[in-house]
Amino acid sequence: MATTTASVAISSSDLQPGNRLSINASSTLMQTGLTTGLELMEMGKGKLTEASAADALHESLGTADTANWVYICNNATDDTHYIKVGIHETIIGNLGAGDWMWMPWNMSDGDAEINIEAEPTGATIPYEYAIFKSTYTLPAKT
Amino acid sequence: MATTNATISVGSDIMSYPVRINKTMTMKKFQSCHGLEETSGLRTKKFTVTTETVVVEQDEFTSTKACKVYMRNTGSDKAHYFYVAKHASAAAATTDAEVIGKLYGGDWMLIPYLADVNITVASSSTDPVVLEYMVFAE
Repeated sequence: MATTTASVAISSSDLQPGNRLSINASSTLMQTGLTTGLELMEMGKGKLTEASAADALHESLGTADTANWVYICNNATDDTHYIKVGIHETIIGNLGAGDWMWMPWNMSDGDAEINIEAEPTGATIPYEYAIFKSTYTLPAKT
Repeated sequence: MATTNATISVGSDIMSYPVRINKTMTMKKFQSCHGLEETSGLRTKKFTVTTETVVVEQDEFTSTKACKVYMRNTGSDKAHYFYVAKHASAAAATTDAEVIGKLYGGDWMLIPYLADVNITVASSSTDPVVLEYMVFAE
């Protein structure tokens, strides 16, 4: 069984004056809440251009309602360059330059693809991603 | 201007070679080099019903484009989870709500949040399950 561990540390000494913020959390990723670790993953990097509009980073081709995890990092150095991250028609949020995100993804149905879009006009944004999955079916050949 | 840093570390032996992700970000305002200055504060809420509940109201952060939301299921039981959705409902995977995913016991997430729609959660169990969450805003 594979073991995948994800940890986060969030800290700030001045966000809440007089109350230093320190959050630490760690979890071991399991297949759909069971005691078996996730055993499928995909990792990569690329460049996203504003001209390409929204692109599917990963199709929802696994079993619906399962445990999956998405890591995306915007490696842009220009503070004005951001990535819109969405699930199908819903924009989850804007990933600014240098930002990363860690999100559960249950592939709720076949129309629950993860999509990304570079902004603003003219932007070319380098990004990295990793997706840890419970199940996945390769796309049919064309 | 406040400085808030978040570091992720992921380690895995899924592949035949070690997989390591280590990245630190400083949370900044939209298209800016200045740090986020507001927060909801760290909140905890105990759920004993499976009804969907709004935990992040978009009204509170209206028109902010660079929010971040941290959530963690503080339990240790992998049988108990929260559905997390960006909608008024998160009751099941097949509802019209855009379900993001599920947080099992011990799981955490940190996502960007466009404050245009509420974030809701729904527990899978009537047994007590505690959610810890915090919003970082401009």
